Order: sequence, then C-alpha cells, then structure tokens
Amino acid sequence: MLVAWAAGAVLDQVYLFLLLALLAYSFRNLYNLRRLAIWLGNPNFADIPVHFGLWGDIYSKIARVSLRQAQREKRLAELVNEYTASTSALPDGAVALDARGRIRWFNDAASRLLGLLPAKDIGQPLLNLFRNPEMVSFVKNPDYARMLQISAPGDSERKLEVRLAPYGNDQTLLLAQDITERLRHERMRKDFVANVSHELRTPLTVIGGFIENLQMDESLRNDGLTRPLELMAQQTARMGRIVEDLLLLARLESDSYRNQNDRVDIGELVRNVADECQALADDVPKIDCEVASTRRVLGDEKQLRSVVTNLVVNAINHTSAEQRVALSWRDQGAQSLLEVKDNGEGIAPEHIPRLTERFYRVDAGRSRDRGGTGLGLAIVKHILHHHDAKLEIRSGPQEGSSFICRFSSSRLVD
Amino acid sequence: MKTSDLKHHYSQQFNSELEGIRSRVLSMGGLVESQLGTAISALNQGEIDSAESVVANDCEVNACDVDIDERCTTILALRQPTASDLRLVLAVIKTTADLERIGDEAKRVARMVIRVVGDTHDESLVGQIVHLGEQVQQMLHRALDAFARMDIQAAINIVDEDIDIDREYESVVRQSMARMMEDPSSIPKVLDMIWAARGLERIGDRCCNISKYVIYFVKGKDIRHTSLEQIKKELDAG
Repeated sequence: MLVAWAAGAVLDQVYLFLLLALLAYSFRNLYNLRRLAIWLGNPNFADIPVHFGLWGDIYSKIARVSLRQAQREKRLAELVNEYTASTSALPDGAVALDARGRIRWFNDAASRLLGLLPAKDIGQPLLNLFRNPEMVSFVKNPDYARMLQISAPGDSERKLEVRLAPYGNDQTLLLAQDITERLRHERMRKDFVANVSHELRTPLTVIGGFIENLQMDESLRNDGLTRPLELMAQQTARMGRIVEDLLLLARLESDSYRNQNDRVDIGELVRNVADECQALADDVPKIDCEVASTRRVLGDEKQLRSVVTNLVVNAINHTSAEQRVALSWRDQGAQSLLEVKDNGEGIAPEHIPRLTERFYRVDAGRSRDRGGTGLGLAIVKHILHHHDAKLEIRSGPQEGSSFICRFSSSRLVD
Repeated sequence: MKTSDLKHHYSQQFNSELEGIRSRVLSMGGLVESQLGTAISALNQGEIDSAESVVANDCEVNACDVDIDERCTTILALRQPTASDLRLVLAVIKTTADLERIGDEAKRVARMVIRVVGDTHDESLVGQIVHLGEQVQQMLHRALDAFARMDIQAAINIVDEDIDIDREYESVVRQSMARMMEDPSSIPKVLDMIWAARGLERIGDRCCNISKYVIYFVKGKDIRHTSLEQIKKELDAG
C-alpha cells in the first residue's frame, strides 16, 4: 500500500494508485479464500497451499483441529472394538432390545443359543424369531426378578434360562444361559436318590421285622441281648424314617404330585397337632394355641399336617420343659400366617440360611439322639412351595425361634 | 426385506399396523409350533394329559385366526394398501389360514394319542410317525423363520425338503400295511395312526405353502402351482 502511495505521489495520481493497490489486495484475498474453499473440499495435510501470514495460520489451525478429531475417533473405535470383543467372549447370550422389542445388537453366544443371524436380524422384533408362547408372555409382561426356563427356539433338546433387565430409555437386555447340563445333572441326582431309597426300603423292613421277632422271643431273654437288640431296633427304625422322608422329598420334587383340592381347616389342624404333641411325653413344654383366622388353605391336608407336626416337634426338641411353644394361625391383610414360636435356646444367625438344607445340623450330637432325620425342614420347605407359601425364620441365640409360614391369597378361601 | 423399508410411510400408524399383523401371525405361528411339539411328544411318551391340553388349546389358535383376519380386513378397507404392502397383507392372510389348519392337524394327532395310548404292539410304527413329526416340526420352525426374515433362499430350501417328507410318509404307509396284513385285529388302531401320519404330511405341505407366500411377497411372483424347477428358473431370471 505504501509503495502505491509513493508511486502515486511521484506521478501525481495518488488516489488512482491507492485504488489499484486496494483492488489488487482484495483480489488476492478472494483468490486465497477460493483456494481455501477448494482445499477444504478435499483436504490434504501434506499439500498446504499457503504457509505464511494470516492464511498460513488459518491452514495450520485447521490441520491441528482435524488431527485432534482423528485421534479422538481412533480412541473411540478402539474402545468399541474392546467392548465388542468382550461381549463376544461372554459365554452367555446377551441381546439388547429397544422399546418396541426390536433387536439392537447381540453377541456370539446369543447367535448360537437363539439361532440369530449376525447383522441380518438387527431391527427384527425378537418375538418374531423367538416365538414360544411362554417367551411371548414373559417378554410382554416382564417380571424382572423372575428367570424363565424354556427350550431354545428350533432346538428342543437345549434348555435355556432367560432373564430380562431394563436399562436406558425403555430398553431391555435379555440374558440367556444354557442350562441343559445343569438340568441333566439335577435329574440324575434326583433319580439316584429315589432309586437308592427305594432299594433300601425292603432290606430295612426285613431287618426290622426280624429284630422285632428276636425281641419278642422268650427263649432269648437275657440281659446281654436286650440292650443290643433295643439299640438295633431304634437305629433300624431311624434308617427307615430317613428312607421314607427321602422318598417323600423325591415325590414332592417331581412336579407331577399336586393335590389342590382339600379345603384345609388350619385352625383345627393346629389344635389337633398341639394336643397330639402335648401328649407325646411328660417333659414336653407347654404348647399354646391361638387361632384368630377362619380361612382355609387349598391344598393337601396330609402334607399340611406334616408341616405343622414337623415345626412343632422341632420346637419341642429345642426347648426345655419349663419353656413354652406357641402356635398361631392369623390373617395379615390378604395373606395368612401360621406361626410356631418358642422361647427356647434359639439359633445362631450363621445357621439360619442353611436350616432347610437336607441333613443340616446345628448341633450334630443332640438332634441325632432324639431320632431326627435331618430332613424335616427340607420337607416343610417343599410342601410350602407346592402351596405357594413361604417359610420365614427368625431367631437368635437364647432368644427363642419363630417359624412363620406365609400363605398367599391365591391359596386362601374364607 | 429390511424393517427400514417399512419406514417410508407418511403414516406412523399404518406402519405399526403392518408391523402388528406381522408380529401377530408369527406369534400365532409360535403357538401352533408349541401345539405340534406337545402333540408329538405326547405321542412319543404316551402322555394323555399333554394330548388333552393340545385339544383344549386349539380354541386359542382359532381365536388368533379370527383376530388377524379382522385386522387385515380393516387394513385393506381403510388403508387400501398397494404394491409390497398389499402383498404383505395378503401373505399374512394366507399364512394365518394355513397355520390354523396346521393347528387342526396337531389336534387330530393329539386325539389319536388319547384313543390309541397303551397299546405297545406297534412301537416301531409309532417311532416312525414320531420321527416324521419331528421333521415336520423342524420344517414349520424354518418356514416361520423364513417368513420373519423374508428369506427367499430358506423358503426355496423348504420347498425342496417337502419331497423327503412325502417319501417318509409313504414308508409309514407301507409299514402300516404290512402290520395290518400280519395282524388284522390291529387294523382299527393302525388306521388311526395312518390318519395321524397323513395329517403330519399335510402339515409339511402347508409349510411349503407358507414358504411360497414368502417368495410371493418378496418377488411379487405367485409360484403356488409351479414345479420346483420352474420356480428356481423364474427366480434366477427375475
């Protein structure tokens, strides 16, 4: 610009030269602008048109921003790859569903277990491919706490355990685990126990019978034999009871055994059992009975009687003669509670979760002496399960124990 | 067919109606698959309870049939669909009819189980029918998968397989005739079993129909009464 002014002054045409210089400057800027626009259309950082001045600055700043962007994208891509690799490694099937039940993505295990085709089935409503009626109602009315056992679609030999987990915006994650082996093992175990128990029954009956005969044989009466025979008879009887309990449990475990037809009067049942147990022995603690509800339970009378008897006998075994056992049957809203409470020696908290395990003993020595089989609470738990009821145990050392059977309204009638 | 193809509609409502009938027909398919599976397993294990449940649940299948037909009729009347939408609705209507018949055949097998159970003389014949039933079950499952995915190749494969089903059925008939000849007192029972086997073979034919509707929907070609070679030629050309 200065050059132009000087030249203009010399030639006495300042304004003309200034104007020409201004025009030249504008054209130069427009030219660079256009170059920038063209370059941006297909940016090549190795071939920058202008390196110096304002334009050079602009070019290098653009280059820096792009580079940062590319690095960020690369990092994100790596994260996504890691994530995809880890879901592929999951042994269980995972399928993400959108708010309308359509498949958003799924991992390799899901493809294998559910027969989904990678890429092709994205966007397909899951229930169009997994059509089993139980699955349809499970997904339409989800109970997120429940796990559904169901056959795999297209492969009835493979059994799956399916659960749903909600997340994000109305999205759902479906998890499927192959439990075929697990079920097979459970079946084998149950069959084994049932078969063994069955086989043991007859020999035990035979032995028990002969021992009884020997005990009644006058010619064998002598002190040396009486005590041994007595012990043999007791132990044989105990083995017999264990076998019977195991067989009962095996029957209860096989779902086919369900009687829902008796309208059991629990109040009456409770009074009967209380009377019976009170008469068992002299050192039995006092058994109180409180019946505040007239509701009846739909189910099997014999089984429910078994429940009450088991609980009362347990209570008696853990209380001394001066203490008390209290039975009650009362309503709590729509539910009804059967409670067996004692103020005996109680149970330490670490034992409580395991009490209903078969043969679990809190105090090994004592219960066996009393002739218990160790299966009573397992039987109670199974019977309650068949009656849609739950067992709650509350206890503390030296604080007594309370065993509550909570029956839900579906099984109660007035 | 990608679900994204359905998106090119000005009306979201129409979209979801079409997706709705697709889901419902496949849901009905699942119910029928379950009925068929239960009937065959009842035949295999001689379980009367399962067989009775199949007979009882058939009314649900019929209810689906009525419901889907109503919805399709409404769509045709109110939306007057054209081109691929029209073909979809028609494919759904026809598939629903075939599914309802398959449900009836399953019920027939279940009834046979209830009548025939307890007779152990014909175990090998029962075994053959069970095998035929299991193959037909697979075929139904694949036909419905092909419908869900609008997968032509899978549909053609199913049409191919129908020949195997027919052959197995013929073998069952031959074995039944031998049985009837060697022991005339077994004729009523064996006849019953032949009817059941025939029902299963008919299910195979209906699965073929469903596959042909898939091809019709995707390619716009009605191939119901053409031979297999014709079909393949036409599809390679189109």
